[in-house]
Amino acid sequence: MQAVDIGPKPQEAKRVLAMAFALTLVFMALAPSASAHKVNVFAWVEGDTVHVEGYFAGKKKAQDSLVEVFDSSGEKLLDGRTNQQGEFSFKIPKITDLKIVLTASMGHKNDFVIPLSDLEEVSPQTTAESSRLTEAEPYEKKMISPGAALEVNLSQMESLIDKALDRKLIPLSKLIRETRPEGPTFVEVVGGIGYIFGLMGVALYFMSKKKS
Amino acid sequence: MHISEGVLSAPVLISGAVLTAAGVAVGLKKMDSEKVPLVGVLSSAFFVASLIHVPVGPSAVHLVLNGLLGLLLGWTAFPAILVGLALQALLFQFGGLTTLGINTFNMAMPAVCCYYLFARGIAHKRRGLAIGLAFACGFLAIFLSAILVAFSLIFTGESFLAAAKLLVVAHLPVMFIEGIVSAFCLGFLKKARPEILRVTHASG
Repeated sequence: MQAVDIGPKPQEAKRVLAMAFALTLVFMALAPSASAHKVNVFAWVEGDTVHVEGYFAGKKKAQDSLVEVFDSSGEKLLDGRTNQQGEFSFKIPKITDLKIVLTASMGHKNDFVIPLSDLEEVSPQTTAESSRLTEAEPYEKKMISPGAALEVNLSQMESLIDKALDRKLIPLSKLIRETRPEGPTFVEVVGGIGYIFGLMGVALYFMSKKKS
Repeated sequence: MHISEGVLSAPVLISGAVLTAAGVAVGLKKMDSEKVPLVGVLSSAFFVASLIHVPVGPSAVHLVLNGLLGLLLGWTAFPAILVGLALQALLFQFGGLTTLGINTFNMAMPAVCCYYLFARGIAHKRRGLAIGLAFACGFLAIFLSAILVAFSLIFTGESFLAAAKLLVVAHLPVMFIEGIVSAFCLGFLKKARPEILRVTHASG
C-alpha cells in the first residue's frame, strides 16, 4: 500500500494545502481578541436579594433582556428585564432551587441555577429555628456571656454577623464574577482545528481506498 | 448568528436538520479527494472566525466567513460549516447540538447562493471587477444569513420584521468586514494561488 494519493496533481494539492494552512494561522493570530457569541447568565445571592447579570462575552452587557425565574418544579415565579448594566435583582420569592433563564435578542438564551443550599443560608425561617435551638441549650448561652453584665440577644447578634459577613463577602463575590472564564481557551481552539485536520485525514484515507 | 438551545420549537429544529442533511449529502457527493484539503482548511477558518469579535454596534457579533466559504467551496460549504459548527457547539458552547441543523442551514445556504451568484464572476479577467464581486459576496452572505435567522425566529414570538431589522443592523459592521476579508482573500488567491480557484470551479 503506497502513500495516500491526493488527486491527480499531488504537487498542486500540496501547495493548496500549505496555502490554506497559512490562512488558518493568520486567523489564529487574530484570535486573541477572542470573544464568544453567546449570552451568559450569572446570579448571586446577597442578603435576601438575588442579583442576576447577563452579558455577552467581551463583557458586553445584555441590556433589556427578559429574565424569568422558575422553581424546581418548573413553575414560573417571576420575570423582569435587565437594565442598562445588564442587571436585574429580585427578593428571594421562595426557598427552592431557582432556575434563572435569560432570553436575549437574536435567539440567544442561557440559564443559571442557584441551588437550594445557597438560599437556605439566608432563609429567615432557618435563622429563627437555629436561634431557638441555641437558646434551648443553657450551657452554650453561659459560654457566650460568662458572668458578663451584658445580655446579648442571640438573634440580634446573628443578624449583625450576617450583615458583616455580607459586607465582607461583597469584594469576594465581585472577584468571582470578574474572574469567570470568558470565551474559549487556546487549548480548545487548537483542539478544534486538530479535529478538523483529523477528519480531513479520515476523508482522504477512505477516498484513496475507494480509488485503489 | 448561533441560535441557542431551547429557543426554537421542534418543527423548526427538525426542518432545519432535514434541510441541512440534504445540503450535506449534496456537498459530500461533490467533494472529491482534491478538494478535501481546501474543505478542511476553510472549515478550520470558519471554526476560528467566530472568535473574532466585532466590537461595533448594539450587540455581540463576530465574523462568519460564510461568503468566502461559499465562493471557494460551493455545495461543499455545507459539510465544512456543519463540522465547524459542531465543534463550536461542543468546545465553545456556541449554539447547541439540537440547533446544529438549523444553524448550519442558516449559514450554509447563503454560502451556496453566493456560489451560484458570484463564482463565475470572480473568475473574470478584470481584477477590479472580480474583487468587487468578492466584496459583494461576503456582504450578501451575512445579509442573507441574518434574514434566515430572523425567519427561524418567527415562531418564537419575535416578529419577523423586528428581528430581521435588529439582526441586519447588528451585523452591518460584520457585512462590511466580511466583504473586505473576502475581497482581500480573493485578490490574494488570484495573484498567488490561482490553482485554488480552479479546484473550486472544477467541481462546484
